[in-house]
Amino acid sequence: MSIYILPVLFILIFMYGFIKKVNTYDTFVKGAKGAIDLVVSIFPFIACIMIAVTLLRVSGVTEYLARLLSPLFSFLGIPPELCELVLLRPFTGSGSFALLDDVLVTYGPDSYISRCACVILGCSETIFYVTTVYFSQTKVKKLLYAIPCALIASIFGAIVACLLCRII
Amino acid sequence: MLIALGVLIFVNPGAALDEMIGASASALELCIELCAVYAVWLGLLEIVDKSGLGAKLAKLLRPIIKKLFRIDNQEIEKMIALNMSANMLGLGNAATPMGIKAMQALDDGSGTATFPMIMLIVVNATSIQLLPSTVISLRSNAGSVDPADIILPSLLATLVTTTIGISLVLLCDLIKRKLTKRKIK
Repeated sequence: MSIYILPVLFILIFMYGFIKKVNTYDTFVKGAKGAIDLVVSIFPFIACIMIAVTLLRVSGVTEYLARLLSPLFSFLGIPPELCELVLLRPFTGSGSFALLDDVLVTYGPDSYISRCACVILGCSETIFYVTTVYFSQTKVKKLLYAIPCALIASIFGAIVACLLCRII
Repeated sequence: MLIALGVLIFVNPGAALDEMIGASASALELCIELCAVYAVWLGLLEIVDKSGLGAKLAKLLRPIIKKLFRIDNQEIEKMIALNMSANMLGLGNAATPMGIKAMQALDDGSGTATFPMIMLIVVNATSIQLLPSTVISLRSNAGSVDPADIILPSLLATLVTTTIGISLVLLCDLIKRKLTKRKIK
């Protein structure tokens, strides 16, 4: 069912364009052209954050942090096996999905740990990545309370996720 | 980053440069992929915009956006409406271009993030996802009996994150305004 949603959405929007007498071809091309400029301007920011994340992982800093924080996590009801996942999630989407795959294979896809990992990923976002990219085209240097708010909300989300997995 | 590099020098100095270039290469790969995704979505969004559909959607979401972001600017409201709709459909990458444009429009050049900017970031960073499709496909690949049984807990958890995120922003804004008021006194 859900695989039809997007194609139908495209058809509906194009049809609406026709009805409103919009030159759909020219308009589409004009919009698509903006993609190149956008990607060129955000590339340095993406590169920088990906280099930082890779260094953190390769050097073993995240693993060490995960071990350090695991008592805190088990206190909060998050399985300590998922420490690294929770720590990396705000930085990298592809990295955390790779970790999720590891968890699924190691513990079996229907285990409590795997289900927790799935829900944690399903309810969170790559906070630092989103923030970097969104602010990349502005002059803003002081973010005030933006990141703390998002991080605290995500941690609560992870705690709730593990709780829900025990019930549902 | 510096700490990680420092640690790496002790653990495996030869790998440092290779890893950095590798990461940069995967960033480039990601950007090429994103460029393809953005081209499709920005093309479609241009039609949405020109046909007046965007304005209609903005009108529909206006009461929520006006209250949540405390703005009164139709152009920005439209971008935020499109950004939020794409996010809810689980199309994070389609939401990004609109989000960036809204951010640029909200920028007042003072160098400090304003309330609507922070709200937009937090709403995006704790976004409501109706369908965690990537997670489900990974899970079914790993041989799960019922890969979709995480939808309900995910939905509930994502509601919790978004609610907490928005409340925290409102709370911080309240504290900040109280503090500045005291300074003036």
